[in-house]
Amino acid sequence: MQFTGLPFEQIAQIGGAAAVIITVLYLLKLRKRRVQVPFSPLWGQVLAEYRQQSDWWRRLRRLLSWLLQLLLIALIAFALADPHPEGEITEGRHIVLLIDSSASMASTDVQGGVNRLHVAKQRARQVLETVGAEDRVMLVNFNDQLQPLSPFVAEVSLIEQPLRDIKVVATGTRFDQALRFGADSLKDKKRGELILLSDGAGFSPEELETVDFAETTTVRHIKLGEAGGNVAVTAFSVRRYLANKLDYELFVRVDNLFDRQIDAELQILADGKLVDTKPVKLAPKGSLQQFYPAQAVSGEKLEARVRILTADARDVFPLDDKAYALLPPTRPVKVLLVTPGNLYLEGTLLLNSNIDLDRITPDAYNPGTHGGGNYDVVFVDREIPANLAASGNYVFVSPSGEHSPWEVSTQVADPIITSYKKSHPLMRWIGMRDVNIGVASKLKLGKGDTVVASAFGTPMIVTRDEGTRRMVAIAFDIRNSDLPLRVAFPVLMINLVDYFQLDDSSLIQDFATGETWSVRVNQEEGKAKVTAPSGSTRDVPIYGGQALVYGEEVGFYEIQAGDETQRVAANLSDPNESQIAPSELELPGQDVVEGTNELFFNREELWIWAVLILLALLVLEWWTYNRRITV
Amino acid sequence: MARRDEQFDERFLRKLEYLHIMSKKIAAGQARAQRKTRIVGSGLEFADHRNYSPGDDMRNIDWKVYGRTNKLFLKLFEEEEDLYIYFLLDTSKSMTLGFEPTKWDYAKQCAAALGYIGLSNLDRVSIIPFSSRLDGRMPPTRGKAQIFKIFDFLSSVEPGEQTSLGDAFKTFVAQNKRRGIAVVISDFYDPTGFEKGLNYLRYHKFDPIVLHVFDDRELDPSLHGELQLVDCETGEVREITVTEGILKRYRQVWEKFCDEIDTYCSKRDILYFRVPIQVPFDELVLRVFRAGGFLG
Repeated sequence: MQFTGLPFEQIAQIGGAAAVIITVLYLLKLRKRRVQVPFSPLWGQVLAEYRQQSDWWRRLRRLLSWLLQLLLIALIAFALADPHPEGEITEGRHIVLLIDSSASMASTDVQGGVNRLHVAKQRARQVLETVGAEDRVMLVNFNDQLQPLSPFVAEVSLIEQPLRDIKVVATGTRFDQALRFGADSLKDKKRGELILLSDGAGFSPEELETVDFAETTTVRHIKLGEAGGNVAVTAFSVRRYLANKLDYELFVRVDNLFDRQIDAELQILADGKLVDTKPVKLAPKGSLQQFYPAQAVSGEKLEARVRILTADARDVFPLDDKAYALLPPTRPVKVLLVTPGNLYLEGTLLLNSNIDLDRITPDAYNPGTHGGGNYDVVFVDREIPANLAASGNYVFVSPSGEHSPWEVSTQVADPIITSYKKSHPLMRWIGMRDVNIGVASKLKLGKGDTVVASAFGTPMIVTRDEGTRRMVAIAFDIRNSDLPLRVAFPVLMINLVDYFQLDDSSLIQDFATGETWSVRVNQEEGKAKVTAPSGSTRDVPIYGGQALVYGEEVGFYEIQAGDETQRVAANLSDPNESQIAPSELELPGQDVVEGTNELFFNREELWIWAVLILLALLVLEWWTYNRRITV
Repeated sequence: MARRDEQFDERFLRKLEYLHIMSKKIAAGQARAQRKTRIVGSGLEFADHRNYSPGDDMRNIDWKVYGRTNKLFLKLFEEEEDLYIYFLLDTSKSMTLGFEPTKWDYAKQCAAALGYIGLSNLDRVSIIPFSSRLDGRMPPTRGKAQIFKIFDFLSSVEPGEQTSLGDAFKTFVAQNKRRGIAVVISDFYDPTGFEKGLNYLRYHKFDPIVLHVFDDRELDPSLHGELQLVDCETGEVREITVTEGILKRYRQVWEKFCDEIDTYCSKRDILYFRVPIQVPFDELVLRVFRAGGFLG
């Protein structure tokens, strides 16, 4: 038996004083109530008969009553000492409840609940119900962000409402962040209990190598979820055609996370109307990519859905069965060609119907009408006007002369392109290795220059970004090469236009939930009003012409800044979250207790029994008194 | 004059009138002096013979007896006269103890009701309150109109002290030479015993009628636990622990006490009525009449 209540000395003092007082009260002569009766001789006759037999009982009754009072004091003292059986853990715990609310917790592969989060909440409540008076509990909600919902509290009712309010958000999971926070919170605690209520989906042990748990901390993982069956739309985006900047194409990717082939149906909806549906066969753990021309759809708000047709397969994660995209309005690209005459350049640009081309000679160049923001891209072929505008996007072909941004040190004959950056946007879809070039200028590189292609160190294609002026230089005259004869040439021209257009606001931006998006708005400072897909609204700050929006829901958001309202689409876009198969938590150098074994403490609160016995004795005394047995 | 009690109001008076009519139905009588006394005199009803003495009225000699026996015997007749009814009302403290209405209130109502019927029959009604002595006296009076005098007298009577039937009735018989009915209304809580007082009445040729009033609540007192019982009349204190068993025994003792009074009265041909005050007084009055005790 161990005692965790008041110290013995204090209990002895209280109990002793009470016993003395009770004894003194019993020794004092009882002051009886005086009652008038009409004729006492009748009572005298009764008393004469009873006096003999009641004397001994009266004395015994007083003794028993005194002993009962002492017993009651002893029981109170026992209860105050807060007794517990030997071996029972009585020390208070510090418990950190980490509740995973990431997207995968919306999976429905659970019993006794709506989804994994619902079951997690039930388990958390079970823990709270067994919390003792000495325990302190902290509730933490995490997904790809961390949200402590309470400090360490003794009154668990305070965290019941925050627990109820936790909702699944369409974001990824940052286990490292959550576990590190839990470990730090329990670092200086004598008995720490970190309880992770999560499916463990997307868990990576490598992330947690630096998490340092205290020796007194017990890490426990309550794994939620059973199956991993899922079919997900992992990508849905709109991009411009390479060959037609005015037009777009839709790209859909569907992943099968089953270990077997799945028959499914892929649907495309525009503004809520079904515009395309097709059955697809998804290979085990395979993926399917699908392209749609924009002409196939009419509408702005696009939605891709996948639905399993295989009878015995069940998709337990509905959150990633839909993806959203916006089809933006199109705008032709304005291009100015400044050249004394170059049929290759002009012809290639003219052939592209998405380009609105103007051609002038270098002499006709007027910075007032041709510079600044009048053109999206300006191609300058060989001769560079002296009064070239200081801002704008320029492509210099074989630049030379005193007005060239690049100083030409010498000429290189028959250069062979030996290296180029395949990943550079200018080199997309093309190869430059076997291009034959007659003569090229050796450009002297300046600060901030990036060499995209070179011939034994001599730059052939160079980019420069001066803030207000972005430039690309091709160091050779294309007429003095076989480049125009190659299929790569029109692609290169498109890439050149694309290079400057990538930052254009008219381009389609992909947004992923769980991130803070920078959405360009026509307002420098202030606030923008964001309406989420669920209809909830909130204000977000605008810095430097960009509204900062944190998105937790998939779907279409409306962002209103001033008079302008623009719409963006957000998707889960996290293949890790679509990998909903639950996994166990493995921590380097740290034991992890799985499940709820020994979690729910069954504490023997013996003081309650003492109080119950006390109450029973009081009831017994009351009953015997009222039944006139002990009166 | 003391203020009349509220219990003697118009309603009470109407009830008395009703009782008077009911009493007539029970025992229809003559216009006046309806009751016979044991006084032998000039009445019409033959009572007895006695030897002739010189100076006796010759008209009363029974000549038929003389013809048979040659001795002169005088015929004696019961003399018809007014009946005296004395209401001996217990005013001791025990009569006033307890919840309203008390035995004292009830006793006054009974005395007034029976007195009214007596007055209505042209009997002479007198009320004598007593405790250990006689606490005043309303002289014999006759006629229905005197009922208000009775009301006023009863209203003016103050409760007395300790009960002593013997002492009080000894004084009573000494002061009242005219015999009659003595209606004793009391709870008979007399430490010295009730027999002595009633014997005084009997020995002095009064016809006692005993109305033993009690309160049902006395039999079931709400007493529990350690108590000091104080006699309301004597002040005697008894310490007691009241239990369910004690209360049961108390009720038995009380029953025995009442039975003793009943037995005493039965043996001596005294009309005895044991009446809880919870019974309406008019019912008691009718019971008295049905028993015939009030008809002489």
